[in-house]
Amino acid sequence: MSHLLLVLPLLIPLFGAILCLFFWYRPGAQKILSLLSQLGLVSAAVWLLLQVNSEEILTTQIGNWPAPFGITLVADLFGSLMVLSSSLVGLALLVYSLRGLDAPRQRFGYYPLLLMLQLGIGGACLTGDLFNLFVWFEVLLICCFVLISLGGTRAQLEGSIKYVTINILASSFLLMGIGVVYGILGTLNMAELAQLVRAPDTNTSLIPMAGMFFLVALGIKAAVFPLFFWLPASYHTPPIAISAFIGGLLTKVGVYALVRVFTLIFAIDLDRTLPLIMLISGLTMLIGVLGAAAQTDFRKILSFHIISQIGYMIMGLSLFTPLALAGTIFFIIHNILVKTNLFLISGVVAQRHKSFALPFLGGAYLLQPVLALLFVLSAFSLAGIPPFSGFWGKFMLAKGGFEAGQWLLVGTSLGVSLLTVFSMTKIWNEVFWKNKPQEEGAPSQARELPEESPAERRTRRLMYVPVLFLSGLIVCMGLYADPLISLSQRAAEQLLNSDVYINAVMYPPK
Amino acid sequence: MNTLILGTAIRLLVPVFQLFSLYILFRGHNHPGGGFIGGLIGSIGYIFYAMAFGPKSVVDMFFMRLYVEDRADTRSRSQQLLQTIKKNTWQRKKTLEQLKKGEKKGIHLEPMLLIATGLLLAAGSGLAGLLLQQPYMTALWTDVYLPILGKPGTPILFDLGVYLMVMGVVLKITFIMSEE
Repeated sequence: MSHLLLVLPLLIPLFGAILCLFFWYRPGAQKILSLLSQLGLVSAAVWLLLQVNSEEILTTQIGNWPAPFGITLVADLFGSLMVLSSSLVGLALLVYSLRGLDAPRQRFGYYPLLLMLQLGIGGACLTGDLFNLFVWFEVLLICCFVLISLGGTRAQLEGSIKYVTINILASSFLLMGIGVVYGILGTLNMAELAQLVRAPDTNTSLIPMAGMFFLVALGIKAAVFPLFFWLPASYHTPPIAISAFIGGLLTKVGVYALVRVFTLIFAIDLDRTLPLIMLISGLTMLIGVLGAAAQTDFRKILSFHIISQIGYMIMGLSLFTPLALAGTIFFIIHNILVKTNLFLISGVVAQRHKSFALPFLGGAYLLQPVLALLFVLSAFSLAGIPPFSGFWGKFMLAKGGFEAGQWLLVGTSLGVSLLTVFSMTKIWNEVFWKNKPQEEGAPSQARELPEESPAERRTRRLMYVPVLFLSGLIVCMGLYADPLISLSQRAAEQLLNSDVYINAVMYPPK
Repeated sequence: MNTLILGTAIRLLVPVFQLFSLYILFRGHNHPGGGFIGGLIGSIGYIFYAMAFGPKSVVDMFFMRLYVEDRADTRSRSQQLLQTIKKNTWQRKKTLEQLKKGEKKGIHLEPMLLIATGLLLAAGSGLAGLLLQQPYMTALWTDVYLPILGKPGTPILFDLGVYLMVMGVVLKITFIMSEE
């Protein structure tokens, strides 16, 4: 059974994408096919999570070659939670892009690319082999490159060049790191690596050095301080359906991989690595939120907030206690949903007002009160105000930090939360609260809103569906947080107790 | 680049390239070779052909433009199929001329279809293992021994898929590049 369960989250998007290729000139058919495979993916992810929840860790060996020789797929709670949250976000985005994306882009293979991106995310979250992790990251990178440059406007090409350049650099660092690990230990299977690293007779003096390669490479992909500059330069350029997906998900896959390798493989001699990660996490939070304060574009503010939130995720890793890691896991899932939702809301606003620039926006509260409510909900959740989901993640992280005695880091994180509220208030004031600006200098189409045609109104209504869906998930996560919190705590225990992982892969029950 | 020498040589060489690519494809299981390199070698022929005669002639020559006979009410489906095959094989020269003049309408087989078929074949070859409750991509072999090819199994399907996909990608690139 586990053979089927583990490959389903990969095969469904793969076959969906292939079938979409057969209908290359018929976007209508592609829409139906990708919607069906997305629904299939969500149900497969739910099934996987349920099964992992009841049976600990599931493994399969692609091609039936036993570990450590074959290609291993492993699903533990963390991995399957990631797969589930990414597929839920993918579903929301797919529904959004049915109307929210222009027709030429839809004709040039948007849907197969979206499915391939999901395949990459699923692969990166389920793989049990370092080299395969690299390959899945390449799948992600290629899909993102095409998606960012799809449409070929000037800003997009500029953004995608920056994106590709820095990411190729990151990939080569990752490859070097993998080479070093293979040179030291002679294997790439993560479980066997974990076993070797913990064996008493292994010379581990060079392992932290190899870990630094991974820290840099995955740090670029996760956009941590000082390696984040590519993110605000590229994430706001493509249309909102694409930047929401990329902005909401991709950096988190980088964080996922960081957490995975640092809990499983480089989890020895951490006395020098953890303070470094801690420093990085504090600076990432702070610089990200300060960068956001200086921006006047809806999407750019959100892009900088991605960076700031990454800091919180890394914070849990740097504390390295079960509670803090559980906080990280909870926070990643919360953030995937909230960040995507905020991007989508900015898209809905821009669909009516034809602009993302804060000076030209205004009065959205009068026109779209429901949207304003949904924005407040997501913004409060992002800032971590109690009944919403962000609060629980930050609470776990802060509590973990206090228990570890890291007062400065926790203080920074709480201060950054305050600044996040400030930044969200800025968006609220400029976009929703103030009157529509009437002065000269604003582009004419932004100054007065054109009458909405019935078709546009229908479009807008359909665009509300994914926003409502994600907002509902966020509210549920906040008000009924207990199941997810206990799941993340168990996931964190699995991460820290690597014997279970090693045994599941290396000595599978016959 | 329309020279007589290149044109004549290419006409003779294309079948050689194709046979060699198939040879490479089939020896790939135990020796150097396989779908990827076979597909590349096979597509060299098409690239040269496009260089010598232009990409349009590649489309005509290698059955990438097909004619589908209309089905008249009086004829059955099998007759229609026979007509279609006839028009596309030994009467192909005449049909092509008619297609060019626009007297008849043909369907265009895109390289994208080749890519999609290849991917489907490659990804689908792994499903056989899943059906037998084995891991994905488990190699399954038949007991038949064919004279030159050896024992067929699911890996050859995978390689064939890669072969088709590589060919499709190279053709797509060639067509796009030669348009510019």
